[in-house]
Amino acid sequence: MTVIEVRGLTRRYSGGFEAVRGVSFDVERGEMFALLGTNGAGKTSTVEVVEGLSRPAAGTVSVLGHDPFRERSAVRPRVGVMLQEGGFPPDLTVTEATKMWAGTLTSPRPVEEALSLVDLAHRASVRVKQLSGGERRRLDLALALLGRPEVLFLDEPTTGLDPESRRNTWALIRSLLREGVTVLLTTHYLEEAQTLADRLAIMHRGRIVAQGTVSEVVDAYPSRISFVPPVGVALPVVASEDGDGRMTVRTNNLQETLHELLAWAHANSVELSGLDARSASLEEAFLAIAEEAA
Amino acid sequence: MRAGAVGQAELKLFWRNRTALFNSFLGPLLVVPVLISVDADGVPLVIGLMGFVLAMAVYYNLVTTFVARREELVLKRLRVGELTDPEILVGAALPSVVVALGQMVLFALIVGVVTGVAVPARPWFLLLGVAGGVVVFALLAAVSSVFTRTVEMAQVTALPVLMACLLGSGMIIPLSDLPEGVASVLRLLPLTPVLELLRAGWDSGPVLRPLIVLAVWIFLGTYAVRRWFRWDPRR
Repeated sequence: MTVIEVRGLTRRYSGGFEAVRGVSFDVERGEMFALLGTNGAGKTSTVEVVEGLSRPAAGTVSVLGHDPFRERSAVRPRVGVMLQEGGFPPDLTVTEATKMWAGTLTSPRPVEEALSLVDLAHRASVRVKQLSGGERRRLDLALALLGRPEVLFLDEPTTGLDPESRRNTWALIRSLLREGVTVLLTTHYLEEAQTLADRLAIMHRGRIVAQGTVSEVVDAYPSRISFVPPVGVALPVVASEDGDGRMTVRTNNLQETLHELLAWAHANSVELSGLDARSASLEEAFLAIAEEAA
Repeated sequence: MRAGAVGQAELKLFWRNRTALFNSFLGPLLVVPVLISVDADGVPLVIGLMGFVLAMAVYYNLVTTFVARREELVLKRLRVGELTDPEILVGAALPSVVVALGQMVLFALIVGVVTGVAVPARPWFLLLGVAGGVVVFALLAAVSSVFTRTVEMAQVTALPVLMACLLGSGMIIPLSDLPEGVASVLRLLPLTPVLELLRAGWDSGPVLRPLIVLAVWIFLGTYAVRRWFRWDPRR
């Protein structure tokens, strides 16, 4: 079942700048869909329209079968939103801020439960202004989860988190996905998308330039083998020089090419120092896309 | 009531905000000598204090509240929740309004007992004036917040409305002492019809024209808020 359906979404700001230009994607129930992109690619602008914060200039958005902007009251009780930047009154304590939010919801979780989900129970009586950036981010997540949402919007949820909190947050998101929660994520961290997302889209200058499962997106890009050969040796494969004498071979068949190279090196007693072979990664695909499009 | 959750949180913040506390509780006491020096006692003093409370505790405090919550991104967050836009604004306005109503009752009782003011003959006009005044000045505060980038700026951006209302609404200079042309313009200010209705609670002054002027202000204010209110900071 399709939970989020976006068709030809365009968003224009009052100055006339088109931040999003004809973006389309679907998110199925229980799936995580990640939007990736460089800064200013239009991720947040897209997500804000899907959340129902503003009306699209063109195109349609449907969340749980409703228009999130015009039918806000039908959609909001069933979704949780973690904004890229949402505020709390700085003089409220963590518990007070959470209680306030709970008071606005149809069927909130107990405040203590929401806070312990994100490991903030021990900070319950601290004023929001005294929290660290990462703790504030986790409080944000706690509020997004407070209403037991069916659909969760996470706009850069782990920015500012230390590595341990980031892993804990990932584990929490995974358990939510297992419970059938649908997640739309935007992130800078490619590792985050690679480990969590079922499908993803890479945005650049307001458009989606690649979309699919992680392997579908990554498979379009070659694997790489790099090494430093002895000076003056003729290689059996096509390679490009990176500087410092390091050569890089790009191939769509890593196993075959690597075997060919190693067999040749063995037969000719050539030492390939600093040998490094790697499948294409999301990072590589991402950088290649950003470069191509630039 | 869902807006009540926001109101409760706002009330806590209000107690923790010294400037707002000062403006609300000590501010009105500072005008008492001014009002007494222009020979206001009894009913005019009560009405003058109520007008001052509407201007400071409702209007000015709410300009700063709306701006502060917008710049802290609290309004933006509330807008991704279940509350409707009017609920968010009502919730944020609630404590200032409650405090203002409390002050008005308190001042009316104190001045009433000390100077021996008669019980209003037509109290419903008094109530209508208070209710209309609260609504108009909450709406005007929301409109003023559009032009106010920071909480500090509110001292400047709120000044035109404050000055016009406090000086021009007959609180300090009775409109009857002014040339008729000037007075008829001043009767169109938002605070004037409110004070006229309050006064009509005691005397048999006009009520139809003030009610119409007040309704027009409420209509204009609602239209302006729906159209121009900013929920997130300008970037």
